[in-house]
Amino acid sequence: MNGRIPIRVANKRAYVWDVDDLNRIRSDHRLCGLLVGTLPHLSQQNVFLGLPSQLTPEEATLLVEKEYAVFVDDANAYPEPSLSQFQQWSAEQKEYIKHQQAVLGAENTKAQELAQLAVSEEAIRKRKERELKRQQKAMELRKLQEMEGDPVAGSELPVPIPAVNAGPSTSPTSPSAHTQYNVCITTPSSALSWYSPDSCTYSTIEAAQEAGIWDFPSNLQDRARYGVFKDLWEQGYFLGGGIRFGGDYLVYPGDPLRYHSHFCATVIESQTHSIQPMEIVAHGRLGTATKKTHLFCGWDDERKTVSYLSIEWAGFG
Amino acid sequence: MLEIHPSYPALASVAEKYPTHRGSLFQTYNDILLAQQWRDVQVIDLARCKRGAIQGRRPRTAADADLLLHIVPCSLAESISLAWIQDVFAALANPPSIYLAVVSDDSSIVYYKLSSGIVKPSI
Repeated sequence: MNGRIPIRVANKRAYVWDVDDLNRIRSDHRLCGLLVGTLPHLSQQNVFLGLPSQLTPEEATLLVEKEYAVFVDDANAYPEPSLSQFQQWSAEQKEYIKHQQAVLGAENTKAQELAQLAVSEEAIRKRKERELKRQQKAMELRKLQEMEGDPVAGSELPVPIPAVNAGPSTSPTSPSAHTQYNVCITTPSSALSWYSPDSCTYSTIEAAQEAGIWDFPSNLQDRARYGVFKDLWEQGYFLGGGIRFGGDYLVYPGDPLRYHSHFCATVIESQTHSIQPMEIVAHGRLGTATKKTHLFCGWDDERKTVSYLSIEWAGFG
Repeated sequence: MLEIHPSYPALASVAEKYPTHRGSLFQTYNDILLAQQWRDVQVIDLARCKRGAIQGRRPRTAADADLLLHIVPCSLAESISLAWIQDVFAALANPPSIYLAVVSDDSSIVYYKLSSGIVKPSI
């Protein structure tokens, strides 16, 4: 929809499946998302993760609100394919299978050619020579052992190598019909000709909420989180998850690939929300120990503004 | 708090005005004056916040030794809020930062620097 990035919503979670979209989101809009795609055969490892990228509710809401993206109700974007669409898809699948079999069959031919080489005249002659040398050495060693009085050594005669019929080598066999093939399921749905997201695309948060596919923000806590996120983003920061440092967000002066964060932000949902002094001690100490300042970000739900308090250990006491 | 303690005269008026907070005020005052060895130490009445505060300068050997700094004591057992903190800033005529002294029952004190706005870490 007019070049807006499609955010595919499933189960009220926001996913981005296209790597070009992901690129735009990060380079143009300063939002990073989180890759959550595992490898099917190694789903327990999380060192290498791939598509899709999952956007946090704040990131997705911000992109749609600023009109950079739209929500796509992915589950409802797959109508039945028409007969011709299905036939074309089926033909393409068959082509791909044939192609795989041809390639794998050719690889089989190569393996057979190598096997052929092993029984060529040259190879046989060389093998004979090697075997003869080995047996001569073994005989000499046995003679030495006999002279030293080794009772184990017997008097074995060298085993004659059966003469191989060095006839004309047989012609290479034709490539065997390889019956195995892989079924490929493409990642982006846009590759399927009947995928039609237009009928279930929502360009505003309200529309998506009304359609029941999106919730955020739904209460004061959500509004406070979103308000703080948006305010920090509008000031030019990159934002990441704060759980590693005991906060809600990590605030970076630039792309997280290039910078360490300077701040760890905690959202305080109102000016009168109760804060224990112990929280200030804990956040302040952790922040200072990790060379960050802890930010208490206070949301004012009436004025829709954010106030900031920076917390650091005093350095004395 | 012992009225016979040598620090008492400096604290008397504020301590009597706000008896709930005199414990943390007393501990902080003594720590700042005698242990941290600050100079020009004075007790201030924050009427708006219904408690006392302390102002002074760090020892001559410290960084920013000439700055007049403000400390507001509170107890670990209290609950505060952002509005409470903003009241303290306003009552002190909005300095760039204030120090919160958190006093616990065993007389441990920890000091944290609170600055308004987004202030980059000093390290």
